[in-house]
Amino acid sequence: MKTQSLSGSDRYPVHDSTSRRGGYGLKPGLEYKKIKRTGLLPAFVCCGLLAAAFPVADMAVRSERYLSLPDSPVSILLHADWQMMSMLNVLLLVVAACILYHTEVSDNALLKMCSLPLKESSLFFSKILLLIPMLIFTLALEAAALGFCCWHWLSFSPEVLTELAYSMGFSLLLLLPAALLSLLLACACKNMWISLGIGVVCIFTATMLPADNFLLSLFPYAMPFQILAGMQKETITGFSTAAALESLGLCAAEIIFLKIRRWSA
Amino acid sequence: MKTRLNNLDTDARQSRQTGRNINILSLVGVELRKTRRSGIQWILLAADIILWMPSILNAHLNFGMQAEGISPEHNFLIQGFMGMAWFMFPASMIVVTVLLTQTERSNHGILKMLALPVSTTRLCLAKFLVLLSLAGAQMLMSAGMYFVSAAIASHTRNYPFMLPPLFVLREAGLMYLAAVPMLAFFWLLSVCIQTPVFSVGMGLASIVPSVLIINTKLWLTYPMAYPFFVITAEYGKLATILETAQVELFPWIPVAIGITVVCLAASCLCFGRAERK
Amino acid sequence: MYIIETKQLTKSYGNFAAVSGVDLHIPKGAVYGFLGPNGAGKSTTMKMFLGLAKPTGGSFTIDGKKYPENRVEILKEVGSFIEAPAFYGNLTGKENLEIVGRILGLPKSAALEALELVGLTPYKDRLARKYSLGMKQRLGLASALIGRPPILILDEPTNGLDPVGIHEIRTLIRSLPKQFDCTVLVSSHLLSEVELMADHIGILNHGHLLFEGTLEQLKAHAENQGYPTDNLEDTFLAVIDADNRQRGGIR
Repeated sequence: MKTQSLSGSDRYPVHDSTSRRGGYGLKPGLEYKKIKRTGLLPAFVCCGLLAAAFPVADMAVRSERYLSLPDSPVSILLHADWQMMSMLNVLLLVVAACILYHTEVSDNALLKMCSLPLKESSLFFSKILLLIPMLIFTLALEAAALGFCCWHWLSFSPEVLTELAYSMGFSLLLLLPAALLSLLLACACKNMWISLGIGVVCIFTATMLPADNFLLSLFPYAMPFQILAGMQKETITGFSTAAALESLGLCAAEIIFLKIRRWSA
Repeated sequence: MKTRLNNLDTDARQSRQTGRNINILSLVGVELRKTRRSGIQWILLAADIILWMPSILNAHLNFGMQAEGISPEHNFLIQGFMGMAWFMFPASMIVVTVLLTQTERSNHGILKMLALPVSTTRLCLAKFLVLLSLAGAQMLMSAGMYFVSAAIASHTRNYPFMLPPLFVLREAGLMYLAAVPMLAFFWLLSVCIQTPVFSVGMGLASIVPSVLIINTKLWLTYPMAYPFFVITAEYGKLATILETAQVELFPWIPVAIGITVVCLAASCLCFGRAERK
Repeated sequence: MYIIETKQLTKSYGNFAAVSGVDLHIPKGAVYGFLGPNGAGKSTTMKMFLGLAKPTGGSFTIDGKKYPENRVEILKEVGSFIEAPAFYGNLTGKENLEIVGRILGLPKSAALEALELVGLTPYKDRLARKYSLGMKQRLGLASALIGRPPILILDEPTNGLDPVGIHEIRTLIRSLPKQFDCTVLVSSHLLSEVELMADHIGILNHGHLLFEGTLEQLKAHAENQGYPTDNLEDTFLAVIDADNRQRGGIR
């Protein structure tokens, strides 16, 4: 019987049934295709530009306030404006996560995806792999603005560039748990307003948490507000390990969640 | 039997044809019904609980406000309301606008509504009124949570934090009234911008700079800053030593009314346009 | 040899049994018509085949493979169309199919071929959101046919199509076993429609399989039971009605 089916499909050598390979592989490129016309990409650009405008505007209006401070230029700028900038970054993450799953749910495409030879978890991981480069882009825009401020108003040296690079890398790492958690929520809630609402409430919680409590500031949405410049070495290691562990934990949580959802279907 | 049914039939048809247009209040009722089982009330409630939780835990901080010259019980209320006016309240209202537009769009409910003999302007205004009533609900829940948390804090700190209800409701009412232009603007965003990522993103992004803008003259033209400005002004009134900018009713009130009217008019014009073209 | 076989397949939600103890035998290379009134459990059965719903009892094999162990292996062989058409509204018809094609590891030409098969080629660059109901239906069908799967599971594929479209799709489905060497499981609530496409049929009512066999066997069965046989639609209605009456008037 088997051989018969093979010889049958030989008539169509271009793509017979055996070429329906499918697979487990991650396909961030495919996820990129899916966000066409959703405006997600321009949103990342706009958010990056808006966040970049904060330090520039701040310096343009009241640079004299910062000129006499003893810290490094990057540290001065981050302490002055990072709260606002990271707030925008986190808000963008929550909205992006909601949209990424909204396109799946709104016209039932998720149903189609579930009936294709594909692991549902790979959808999630492809989405996070798509989010990371877009976040890097946004952070790079912000870094460029900070670098410009250093050069124009404060002092500029090659050290500024390395310090900026470290700061942004640290921020990216600390943004990861928030990104994963937002995606997990968006994946779990069919209705966009619920995941958006929970995200907004979580961000608000993060702003209400006392900054001096290390354990509380490990809350995924609170971590992106941290600033590398002027941070103790142990604290840096603490935050980095926590971000890595939280990310792993959230990935595991997503896999378990999908398993349970499939089991109870 | 047959004739009776026929009579009923004609009666129904007659009332369908001669019936008066549905009034705006019953339309609001219809729209409110659509938000049933949406889970929005839980999100709003959760926001209010999280708003007051730190106030209970950090109640002792209210005793160290001599520099500002504000009494602990007033500080307890104002700090909570400031957190609400700055981010919590505007952000949850964005979520409500998403709820209102998505319930219509997800199963093409809007097409049914547009095919019914209801004017789109009324429909749009009714939905805005639903937004206003949900905003009111959150404000009331927040005031309610204040009384709960003030009672808890009074108990744990052995100090009467509880303020007279009328005073609390007055503050909440002021914030609510100041928020109307902001809500109209959010409504305009969600009606006119079809791409959800932009309507939501622009709304949320517009909240963030309001902290900076209340310190400038520009606040007058920025409705998202109104509630925060009003509460900060109240803070300045209650704190005898602190100086904050005070609300001057002119030209603020005319500007605010102007913004509200323009936003509502524009959203009524846009409403359902994408579906009707 | 049966390419799809179920043993006492059951799915209950709480104490409501959507499908109970169904034994299906779908021969390879057949067009199998799955017949039953609305809510009989056809969609639920098909969803179980695709792993979209978990059986609460019994088991099934598809091409010798078992669920849930071989879920992905099964899905590689099955093209499906379930319930309302599922698609990304923000993408064009062609882009939608390209996404499905890439997940299946197919060459780019596969999307175009599938579009051609269902007659959507002229509209391939239009947003799927702006498709008419019939076009959405065809897009759903195309995403099932893409890559010529050896097994096709189609849930009421002619819903929402105009008479010409219905005829086209029927002809297409009937030609598939020969053309692509595949097996088709197609559901419908109209016997007259199934009659035109299928060579084997299974009749489902209230989650129970009332009849399984060829059309000739159905006629013979009906004659035995004293049901009308001159019109197959009447036969079907009589079978369902008798079953409903046996259940004590539950409809």
